[in-house]
Amino acid sequence: MFSNYEFRLIITVVIIGIATGMGFVVKAQLIPDSFGTYGHYRADAIDEEVLRPIRHGTNASCLKCHPYEAAIHLKGRHQTISCEFCHGTYADHVNNGKKIGTLPVKKDTEITTLCLRCHNTEIKARSQAVIKTVAMPEHLESQKVKVTHTCNQCHHVHAPLKYINRAKQITGITESES
Amino acid sequence: MKIEQAPPQLDRRAFIKKVLTGSVTGSLLLIYPMGGGDALDMLQPSTIPDTPEQIPGIRGEEYDIHERKFAFIVDITRCIGCGSCCVADKREYNVPDGNYRTWVERYIKDFDDQVYVDCPNGGLDGYQSPRTDIDAPVRDTFFVPKLCNMCKEAPCVQVCPVGATFTTPDGFVLMDSDRCVGCGYCIQACPYSSRFLNPITHTAEKCTWCYHRVRKGLLPACVEVCPTGARKFGSLKDETSEVYKILKGPGVLSVLKESMGTWPALYYLGARLEVI
Amino acid sequence: MSGFHEGSAMLLSNFVLPNDIHVHWSMMIVLYPYITGLVDGAFIIAALYYLFDVKSLKPVARFSLLFALAFLCCATLPLLLHLGRPERNLNMLLTPSPSSAMAGFGYIYAVSMGVLGFIVLFVYRADLVKLKQRSRGMMKLIYRVLTFDCDDLSPRAMALDARIIKILVGLGIPVAAFLHGYVGFIFGGVKANPTWATPLMPVIFLFSACVSGIAAIVLAYIVIRKLTGKSIDGPCIITCIKTLTGFFILAFSFEMLEVFSHSYLKSGYHHMVEGLLNGPLAASFWLWQVKICSGIPLVLLGVMAFIKLQQSRYNLLAAGVSAILLLQVFIMRWNVVIGGQLMSKSARGYTVFHPEWFDKEGILTVIVVMLIPFVILFVLGKIFPFWTEEQNG
Repeated sequence: MFSNYEFRLIITVVIIGIATGMGFVVKAQLIPDSFGTYGHYRADAIDEEVLRPIRHGTNASCLKCHPYEAAIHLKGRHQTISCEFCHGTYADHVNNGKKIGTLPVKKDTEITTLCLRCHNTEIKARSQAVIKTVAMPEHLESQKVKVTHTCNQCHHVHAPLKYINRAKQITGITESES
Repeated sequence: MKIEQAPPQLDRRAFIKKVLTGSVTGSLLLIYPMGGGDALDMLQPSTIPDTPEQIPGIRGEEYDIHERKFAFIVDITRCIGCGSCCVADKREYNVPDGNYRTWVERYIKDFDDQVYVDCPNGGLDGYQSPRTDIDAPVRDTFFVPKLCNMCKEAPCVQVCPVGATFTTPDGFVLMDSDRCVGCGYCIQACPYSSRFLNPITHTAEKCTWCYHRVRKGLLPACVEVCPTGARKFGSLKDETSEVYKILKGPGVLSVLKESMGTWPALYYLGARLEVI
Repeated sequence: MSGFHEGSAMLLSNFVLPNDIHVHWSMMIVLYPYITGLVDGAFIIAALYYLFDVKSLKPVARFSLLFALAFLCCATLPLLLHLGRPERNLNMLLTPSPSSAMAGFGYIYAVSMGVLGFIVLFVYRADLVKLKQRSRGMMKLIYRVLTFDCDDLSPRAMALDARIIKILVGLGIPVAAFLHGYVGFIFGGVKANPTWATPLMPVIFLFSACVSGIAAIVLAYIVIRKLTGKSIDGPCIITCIKTLTGFFILAFSFEMLEVFSHSYLKSGYHHMVEGLLNGPLAASFWLWQVKICSGIPLVLLGVMAFIKLQQSRYNLLAAGVSAILLLQVFIMRWNVVIGGQLMSKSARGYTVFHPEWFDKEGILTVIVVMLIPFVILFVLGKIFPFWTEEQNG
């Protein structure tokens, strides 16, 4: 029948077959349980992503505890701006209902830089329908204001036309071109 | 309620010191419970403090992952290049420097139809000054925000060798950072360059349309902070949502690199011919 | 793609998308196809002898098997060095995605190793039996396992061996084709990259793989025989060079067809490829890959084919051509892998690549990874002699 050699070769093939079979059994054990639920991936990864800590709140979360700012901000042109963009994320400030840190408030020329990020007319890509833009220092010069003034010396940062409109009311001066 | 004057620096240590020494009157007033229990509860939809839901119909309901559809629309006519979206995204995910989950490009056209595109630091600093290296007079400038297109036939999902990136039944292409081996194939395969290799975790990463926020009924961070409404997000199950009305309405919407056959779920309103 | 016709004038504004600046697939990914290519080419020589009975290749048949095995042992190394999380490499075996070409690696590699390993065992069984009879202790045990614990060298057993070798080599050819062809498809299946996305990619890779492998065998054979003071079998070299010529003409034709075809069709993002080949890759592609490393071999191979030369001159030319072709295939891999990534997906710019010396995927690593197979070959040569006794004459 089979010679000694042939027999050994057959044994070798059988051993390889068994090893491969065992390999597949081990493979099945090592694959994570939720793998394949929805497709070729670990379904648990979806839940893990859902549990990622949220860092930004929304303006509503900020304004709930800051009603003074809320009253001003929500009536002004800047009501669509996120508090967190200028001040930092909610998660750095509050955790589990408790304050864990203080968020920075911009000062002086930092404010001007921040304003010009959106309102600089030199960039020429901002439709007047979307946002009003100015050029510096022409804007200051045309308003007869010292060119070292920062934006917040005339404009309330949270409601930029608040003081402007009030000033117009008081003085009766109408808007000149900016 | 007492008006809180926030000191100008973020200093956890100083704060703790003040509490311990009890030397600052009113410091105790800084700690008031806002409803909700321990830290884990913070993450559960019902107790996210003071954040009313922005996407209706998600909180307080069983989330059937097969019955949900969302849409993301970018309105180029309203983007002012402020970069708030980039900043918010970086903060939300602690994105390492030099890598971008979302970014804003500036396109400039001259009178000979020559197009110049730039994207300094991904738009993180906004666009604070005009380009000085263009000789020709500028005819037109516009900004294009970019992010993951959530392709319905995502090439990144197709090529991932280990199933570390995948499309969920509700249409989001997500990453499983525990399975990713960092081979970089998905990064090569993405036609929109949305992906990068995180230099700290050595795994691939990309924008996820803030899935963790959406599942809690909140808008993605970039949509949340956009001051002009250039980024729009909503549920297609909600017929009153802005995105539903735009998508089902008569306006012209486009997608990027349509010829690639990826069927993106990210739509552009007002995208110009030059945008690739 | 509408309204975009800046053409090559676009380079006025070189815009690279923010995530495109870094080249992710670096020199290790150039090396991996190169190594599997060498395996394939060496295996072709062995297959020509063992399966197709090309008797003139007998002097290098065994050597090419060992050469292929030595390089195959190292094939995983560049990949492990490249992975961001190499400790998770088993994920490729556990959950290989059926739609991903790269996922094939684990199983294709395992099968290739198995097939090639067994071919070597059967080819060398007679030598191993003799070694077993001469050794003691641990080595004897190892040889016992390697010879299936059987000393049978009867004609019946040897005939069975010959049949098994034929079957395995026959099996080995499609396995080898997959081993390198799938790498070609890894690139060919990426529609986002205009250089890579072509159905010809696996074909080009396979043919140039054969070129590199055969050239490596020719060069290694000539060098080792010269260094050990042994003779060089003329007809063997002639057959190798003829095969090499055939494969090289095919490989070069497809490479040029690819470039020319896209340039003529002007479809999709071809302008990016043109800008790449005429810009950042001008020296590396046109000068080095085409003119120097393809043009000169074509001329030399033509001389060797049509002009009657003295055998010693022929062998010298053979060694020279092989060295140049080894370089050509390396440069071709470089231009495809790294060159392809220089194009930004913005379709408006190119990034740059700076090879580092001391990086995990750096130049020093490349040198070390390329040296290791030769060390393995040296060790293998101590167990499995490269040449039979009559060839040493």
